[in-house]
Amino acid sequence: MSKSYEEINSKIESGDAVVLTAEELKAAVQEKGVERTAKEVDVVTTGTFGAMCSSGAFLNFGHSEPPIKMTKVWLNDVPAYTGLAAVDAYIGATELREGDGMDYGGAKVIEELVAGKPVKLRATAYGTDCYPRKNIETYISLRTVNQAFLFNPRNMYQNYAVATNSSEKLLYTYMGKLLPRNGNATYCSAGQLSPLLNDPKLRTIGMGTRIFLGGGVGYVTWEGTQFKTNVPERNGVPAAAARALAVIGDLKQMSPDYVRGLYFHKYGWSLGLGIGVPIPVLDEEVVKNLAITDDKIFAPVLDYAVQSRARKPVKEVSYAQLRSGTIDINGKEVRTSSLSSYRKARDITVELKKWILEKRFLLTRPVEPFPAEQVQKTLEISSRTEA
Amino acid sequence: MAEKKLILTFSPEQVNTSITFRLARDFDVDVNILRAEVNERGGKLILALKGAGEEIDKAIAFLEENKVQVGEVARFVVRDEERCTDCSMCISICPVRAYRLDRESWKVVFEQERCIACGLCVDACPAMALKCGDNTTQMV
Repeated sequence: MSKSYEEINSKIESGDAVVLTAEELKAAVQEKGVERTAKEVDVVTTGTFGAMCSSGAFLNFGHSEPPIKMTKVWLNDVPAYTGLAAVDAYIGATELREGDGMDYGGAKVIEELVAGKPVKLRATAYGTDCYPRKNIETYISLRTVNQAFLFNPRNMYQNYAVATNSSEKLLYTYMGKLLPRNGNATYCSAGQLSPLLNDPKLRTIGMGTRIFLGGGVGYVTWEGTQFKTNVPERNGVPAAAARALAVIGDLKQMSPDYVRGLYFHKYGWSLGLGIGVPIPVLDEEVVKNLAITDDKIFAPVLDYAVQSRARKPVKEVSYAQLRSGTIDINGKEVRTSSLSSYRKARDITVELKKWILEKRFLLTRPVEPFPAEQVQKTLEISSRTEA
Repeated sequence: MAEKKLILTFSPEQVNTSITFRLARDFDVDVNILRAEVNERGGKLILALKGAGEEIDKAIAFLEENKVQVGEVARFVVRDEERCTDCSMCISICPVRAYRLDRESWKVVFEQERCIACGLCVDACPAMALKCGDNTTQMV
């Protein structure tokens, strides 16, 4: 049994496609087995909603009168990068507002834009013969700008660590507030709903894949930064952070339900982002991968009290254990928290399923596959000859 | 058995009086101190009184006779339902398990009556959906 992308899309267009969410698919396989499910189902929707720090948006503000070639740009007093053409800028999610600590950042600017709010634009310039203006202060919104698109170098990590803290002091990290003496443990993958855990070798997901991004339509543009494949596997899926994707999408289509500024106390800002990926049921192999459940997906528990990139895992735990509310660390029952929202991940799988059933969303064959093997490098202190 | 959570405000002159001791000795109520703070403006004490309704009322009357300002605290922590993403960060932070994950809807349920106003969850919430409520703000 095998189906092509074209067959699946023509079924979507004629209204005959059978579309299940990842949760529904897992239940179907348990009930009917792989073979029958592969015959009956055409598309499965996966989703995740979590903190994705490596995110940001390109904006083109339009030209002022007289025109300006912006050399410094601030949005609600958060610096944006503008080492580009005259009125292009990139606002990064983790950038902080200048001058007053951490209480406002780039991710919040992006959230406010998506919510339709006006944002204060301030820019300075050195002035040229063709761009005489030297400063400007005005308000912009998604209605006033030409282009506004998210362009995120690393999103939807395929699995990630579980964080705990063995030290005597409270730690504030990007994995949240970690209580002393292994007082809690936090995790951040959507587990069995997560897109890249449902297609672990990225057979159907590649460059150009059309996705649900922040409530609008987006695309996969590249391998994510720090994409790697050399991690331990359990039950055919990576048991640590492995692959990731770079994605792009129109901010003007997005919804504040799925684009949120998140603030991690004493750490900084991150973008809470919802992403959904449809998996075409090409054959039984695809269904076998989709059948994976939380009890078969494992993650390493890392001690964030160790301030080193070379932390050794304390142990491995399954997502079923994590979701039960407690895990065991050195004989102690430790309570768990998720940083990603399973509720929102599930909402995304339902929403994307609806789009496909309403013929508003067709599937794409990857333009290029991503590397089958790749190692992540480290940063060393090197001389000119060593680099 | 009834329970009331109270916030008591003492003037600077009153902070040396043993009001809480007398409360426990003279009335048939369980006194559980949740938070206490003293600064130049006086003292604040959040406590839970458990007992028969009329005993609690008598205890409150005693406090008021002794010029202690008594306020009832209904909500220590206020959750902005719009901002909450149901991530569950608050769950493992809360020492008294006032938050739990509903495993049908995967929404985070907040049981206000369990809350002891420790404030630990407030800065743990990445969505900034949690705030100190009522008149406990200065305490936390």
